[in-house]
Amino acid sequence: MQPGGSVDSVPLDADVSTGVEETASNEKGGSVNGPEIRSTCNMDDIEAEFHCHVVDENNEDYYNKPDPIRCKRYNAQMPKESGFRRSTSTCLELIRNAMLRHRWQEAAELMSSYMQMLEDTSVSKQLMACEIIWRLGTEILQHHPNAKQEDFDMFYQSIKNVRVNNYLKISLDHSFHLMLTGHMEDACRQLSNAQNWRYGNLSSVQLNLKKVIHAYCGYLQYLIWYSKKSKASGAENDSGSDHEMHSYFRQASVTLQEVLEQPGVWDPFVLSYVEMLEFYNDLEKAESVLKNYAYNERFPVNPNAYVYLYEFLKRHDAPQNKQLEILKILQTLVPSHELMLEYCNILLGTGLHDDLRKALTVVMDLLEYTSWKQNVDAWEHLNEIMEHLGNGHCLGEWESRKNLWLSLHFTSYHARKDAILSVKLVDVKIKFLTPLIKNYQEYTTAAYRVKKRKGKNGSQGYKASANTGKKKK
Amino acid sequence: MDEELTDGYHEPCPQCLSVDWGVSDAGQFFCRFCHNVIERVLLYEDAELLSTSSRVSSLSRASIKKRRELHRNWIVIEGFQFVLLHQAEALVSMGVCSQFKDDILYNFWKRYLQATNQAYTRAPLCYGEVEAVSDFTSESECPSELSFQSEPSLRGRRKRTASGSSGSVVSSGSMDGSSYSKRKSGDFMTMPRTLALCYLALLWVREGITLSDLLRFASEKHLPYINVHEYFPEEMTVFGRDCQYFKVESIPSYSHVHKDILKLARIMKLPAFPPVTPDCLLHPSLLSLRYLVELNLPDELHHWLCKVIKQANMAEQALLTFDYSKRPIGTSHFSYDLQACALIIVTMKLLFRLDDSKEWKLSKIADFADPDAKQYSLAFWHTTMHKALVLARKREKLHTANQQWKSSKPFILSERNKSVFLKRRRVVEYLQTRFQKLSGQAVETEPTKPSSFIFLWGDGEDSDGPSLHCQKLDCNLKKRRQTQLCANKKYWHPLLRPCNPTVCGDHFAEVEPTLPRMYVWLLDLFSFLLRVSSSLMHEEVLKVERRFFKGQAVQGTNKRTTKIKQNGKPKKK
Repeated sequence: MQPGGSVDSVPLDADVSTGVEETASNEKGGSVNGPEIRSTCNMDDIEAEFHCHVVDENNEDYYNKPDPIRCKRYNAQMPKESGFRRSTSTCLELIRNAMLRHRWQEAAELMSSYMQMLEDTSVSKQLMACEIIWRLGTEILQHHPNAKQEDFDMFYQSIKNVRVNNYLKISLDHSFHLMLTGHMEDACRQLSNAQNWRYGNLSSVQLNLKKVIHAYCGYLQYLIWYSKKSKASGAENDSGSDHEMHSYFRQASVTLQEVLEQPGVWDPFVLSYVEMLEFYNDLEKAESVLKNYAYNERFPVNPNAYVYLYEFLKRHDAPQNKQLEILKILQTLVPSHELMLEYCNILLGTGLHDDLRKALTVVMDLLEYTSWKQNVDAWEHLNEIMEHLGNGHCLGEWESRKNLWLSLHFTSYHARKDAILSVKLVDVKIKFLTPLIKNYQEYTTAAYRVKKRKGKNGSQGYKASANTGKKKK
Repeated sequence: MDEELTDGYHEPCPQCLSVDWGVSDAGQFFCRFCHNVIERVLLYEDAELLSTSSRVSSLSRASIKKRRELHRNWIVIEGFQFVLLHQAEALVSMGVCSQFKDDILYNFWKRYLQATNQAYTRAPLCYGEVEAVSDFTSESECPSELSFQSEPSLRGRRKRTASGSSGSVVSSGSMDGSSYSKRKSGDFMTMPRTLALCYLALLWVREGITLSDLLRFASEKHLPYINVHEYFPEEMTVFGRDCQYFKVESIPSYSHVHKDILKLARIMKLPAFPPVTPDCLLHPSLLSLRYLVELNLPDELHHWLCKVIKQANMAEQALLTFDYSKRPIGTSHFSYDLQACALIIVTMKLLFRLDDSKEWKLSKIADFADPDAKQYSLAFWHTTMHKALVLARKREKLHTANQQWKSSKPFILSERNKSVFLKRRRVVEYLQTRFQKLSGQAVETEPTKPSSFIFLWGDGEDSDGPSLHCQKLDCNLKKRRQTQLCANKKYWHPLLRPCNPTVCGDHFAEVEPTLPRMYVWLLDLFSFLLRVSSSLMHEEVLKVERRFFKGQAVQGTNKRTTKIKQNGKPKKK
């Protein structure tokens, strides 16, 4: 159970607002390996989790002649369900319908009736009610036109104290909400409250949550530091605010250091820590943190760790062999990573024969991934490497991949697709193919036919291809 | 120790809304639940005095004494007596004659207590610590009498058991809370039985309130039923085991209360009730008129309905009079409202056949007739009625969703969790007010007046549709030799052979798919009106049909005017 996002989700240029949103939304979406912390509720989830049967009342037939099966079931259920339960389940159903139709006013009215569910005598129902009310209530408040910040605060405050089991989760959710609305300091306070909260023995889930809360505490301190920094750089130098900023740095660094000692995927936290260290010119420390994050065996394998390390080294003009070393590891982990083209460039730059051969395999590996198959840049890189290397040296690599590549890249189907997408791509691919294989016309003729047809239809296709080409980049 | 120090302070904590204050060593108040420290500080009058234990003990003794003063001993039937009192008062305020409360219900209650040996007897049942219940009989100032006239009734005989519960472990607020339901005979009082008793008394005075009305009033809170303990005087604390008697989480079903009515009648050995005469509102001809108005059916239908009543011998005095002793146990089900509705359905079947084809043909004729003639068209009625029904269902659903079951005075099941119950209640109330404020909802919605009618017909703004009461049935009738006959010549009915209720139960679910949709829709409409299941309604229709054909057969043999042919299922008339 570790917080953090997936491979490509963490913003590298830590703009405060987007950074927050990104991380928060990562959490909301339920990241791959993060714990379940969601502030927005998904109705399907709730239905699945709480097994609430919802009859679709909007189906016109619902009020028409009752179908026998429902009639039977209804009659059978009647005596079992108490009036209270019937009221609350009907209420939940109506709330759901109101929410799905974005009638927030109605939903809020019904919600106030639903609160009685908290007084249900069965503990399991009560727990469920607490969770339902928390999730639906925040959702309603988020969309309700009259909802103010105080409403949120009071809602979170009272709902988190209803049952102890949810205290930490709701606290975290509360601070996320505050974070998103720009109340960084309040959010920070909430989290530190949650950190100090204690009620009996903690369960394993709560322990994990505490870890996450601790991490976010540090992250929030970083965010406050960041906003202070950008303010300080904009305005005149003020020793008072500077001092405050530095104190936040100290707090954040202590917290983040503690967090980063524990194994886990801590992408946004590492980045923020490194950024602060870089600002204070503590490059050695930053490098050691990143190295620990990448190379420490206790940590789960995380390609992002190498990306961050590489980028750090690149920023600070570290020797090329160091960079190559990292990219090599990254290549084994993620052969389709976007940094691979950069890797090729560096390898090309050295001009050594071995490096060129290496670059060839890297690019060829890269091109075997669907997302790269139609990338003009990658194909151009391949051609460039072949030019440097000479055809003779490439043949070995080509022969081993020939069968695969002919069906993967050079069928008439691919020709049509490529020609529609971009003319340049077709040219580059043909340029690659001609020296390697003789008498293979399938791709070329098909591409030629499409080109011809396109020529007749005017330049429409070209425009489209230009657009998609841009998007690709 | 903190309890005494913080005794006077009952404000909920601003953080978590719980009232669980402690005092820190520095004298500061803090919430023991969320550890929030508030500004309030304990003010010492004399620091030295506090450190001695004598002061603390005197404080605690004082608080207990105070609590004991508030608490009075009471027994469970007294609680029910309060419930009945309030229900009777509510009914009287709705317009029921005052004789009902002071005379009938009071006597019924007395009779019940006597019959079940709970009071008014020389050998009362012993519940727990209550030894002296027989005082009821000897004392002129018996509680029932008093409490039916005025509320502070418990004063007189309280003295005798003043020391009743002292020293014993209190698991209930009342004295016999833990033992009341353990009685073997099964004739103890329950909340649904208060309604049953009310209904019996209403029946005795022949008020026009049917059982379904009574249940509807209870669910709409015109009749105290949900959270009745709120009406109890302060001294009667409902606590622990008492909750099982007074806690209500649903309105009982029609058949449940009906069973209770019969059971109570048996227990109380009630004599024959005053006869239901044709001028009484419960008489089928008048009661069905009420439902005709409710359902926007033409008044002319009533004429035919009376014929059906006559033919089925439904106006018989012996049948209409509630007399438990003359009724064998098997055939016990008798309800005026169900019967009146079943009569309407049978009449409609007679006039329109309701087999999913004839009624549409007839209404087509009516539709093409002269609009000034105001011909009743069943198709048009169905459309308006269905629209109104859908709306009423939606209203009903919203009402169900918004119905509040939990009391502002929560039931406290155990002393240990008392603060938890109270806190939860406060949280709920707080959240409710916040959400209400958010939606700008008026906090006090004005209470609707109790009404016998669900639908409203006419030209008004909030009416459910145009009124069809004055429409004529001419298109559905034929004239032959100055007598009017139905245009519909056939009548269908399901198998009428009654089956043994002990062997097989409800067949409605099996039969339902084969029944005409129009008929099922009609059943659905009436079951919504009376809040009963469609199967119960169907059963009642069958009963009426049985009687109807029996009467027809008798008449047929006498007069030889009508022939009944029976070829398989559908019957010709």
